[in-house]
Amino acid sequence: MSVSVGGVPVGGEALSPVRPGPVRRTRRDALRGVFGAALAVALVPVVAASRPTRSGADPGDTAFDETYRGRRIHGVLKGSWEVTVDGRPLHLMRRADGTWLSMVDHYRSYPTALEATRAAVDELSPGRELREADGQMGQMHMGQMHMGGDHGVHA
Amino acid sequence: MAYTRKDVSTLTAAEKRRFVAALLEIKRRGEYDEFVRTHIEFFVPDGEYGLRSAHMAPSFLPWHRQFLLDLERALRRVDSSVTVPYWDWTRDRSATALPWTKDLLGGTGRRSDHRVTTGPFAYATGNWTIKEGITDEPYLTRDLGHAAAPIALPTRSDLDGALADPVYDTAPWDSTSRKGFRNRLEGWGTGSGSASWRNHNRVHKWVGGVMLGGASVNDPVFWLHHAFIDLQWSRWQSRHRGARYLPARPPGPGDDQEGRVVARQERMPPWDVTPEQLEDIGTIYRYA
Repeated sequence: MSVSVGGVPVGGEALSPVRPGPVRRTRRDALRGVFGAALAVALVPVVAASRPTRSGADPGDTAFDETYRGRRIHGVLKGSWEVTVDGRPLHLMRRADGTWLSMVDHYRSYPTALEATRAAVDELSPGRELREADGQMGQMHMGQMHMGGDHGVHA
Repeated sequence: MAYTRKDVSTLTAAEKRRFVAALLEIKRRGEYDEFVRTHIEFFVPDGEYGLRSAHMAPSFLPWHRQFLLDLERALRRVDSSVTVPYWDWTRDRSATALPWTKDLLGGTGRRSDHRVTTGPFAYATGNWTIKEGITDEPYLTRDLGHAAAPIALPTRSDLDGALADPVYDTAPWDSTSRKGFRNRLEGWGTGSGSASWRNHNRVHKWVGGVMLGGASVNDPVFWLHHAFIDLQWSRWQSRHRGARYLPARPPGPGDDQEGRVVARQERMPPWDVTPEQLEDIGTIYRYA
């Protein structure tokens, strides 16, 4: 598990860029994570808005769960961030400087996963929802096509 | 015989019509959505594993050059007179003028849901349904200028700042490279504040909607934007005679970037082509 210093995860083996080798995160892992997270959200009663989950040394470092602009955002750091917006997976990507970007807001990054998730919500105009299936293609795109798997994309 | 890519503001009515018709035809055939998928698949960020060929990497420019060539070839199979025009956003800065006119790309999205309702790519035409998206709406979205919190397009001066750098790229060859033409143009800044959107990245933000996300290729302006970015590489080469793509050789053992960036003479996935082979495209096309 990574620890976080000033919002920048450090020392997390699973997060550290590594030299070439097998992609450790398989499509199955990605699916399990995505559906696991979605299931967890479904099972948690909605009791309060904007109440961060305090599971790390600082709120939001390893998990968050709040209502932001009317949308339920949930994130858990499990090697990489598993984030959902209204129960649908939002893929976050990590930059070399430790900041985060999402598949919705893909051309700049934010200091924390929570800020990247809120920024994605800011860009989702009313009526726009993340895709149930296609939202995973970001989770799966890495290395899949170079390893003989399918392209991780659902038409 | 090299063909010519033109400034979008100089296209004739017939050229606009044929460009649009060719785009709609490859969309109808299903070829267009392959481009959308490829772009999503190759967005590997520099904080994660694997070879980065398309973004946050030296090969940002040759990758998109080849990507444009593939799209252009698909369009020219439909109509051999078509080439991809470029959008000079340092000059054409209005959200209501070219390329945002009804006879070309259509305008900004409506206020309620950012749906584009004008021009040939509006959902109601039935010709441009989004199939490969990050979000579930089937229609093209835009938010030109980002109405809720307006931002400006990059300026000529911003672009000149990139063009003035005499070195193509610098270690660590990623989004944190502080110097080098490539990242100054690609536009990765620090992770806070609006200054973090620069040049190429900032234009994606300014257009908004699908152009802001991983499936940005769904907006045809992607190609006009990247043709202009591609033109900057040629301008940079003219300004700095003899300057070459870097790194010339792959980062070696012990280098954190070993195996993660494409060197000058290495194959650049998904193509069997090297950055060196794409440095001079004068025999294929030129910019007017």
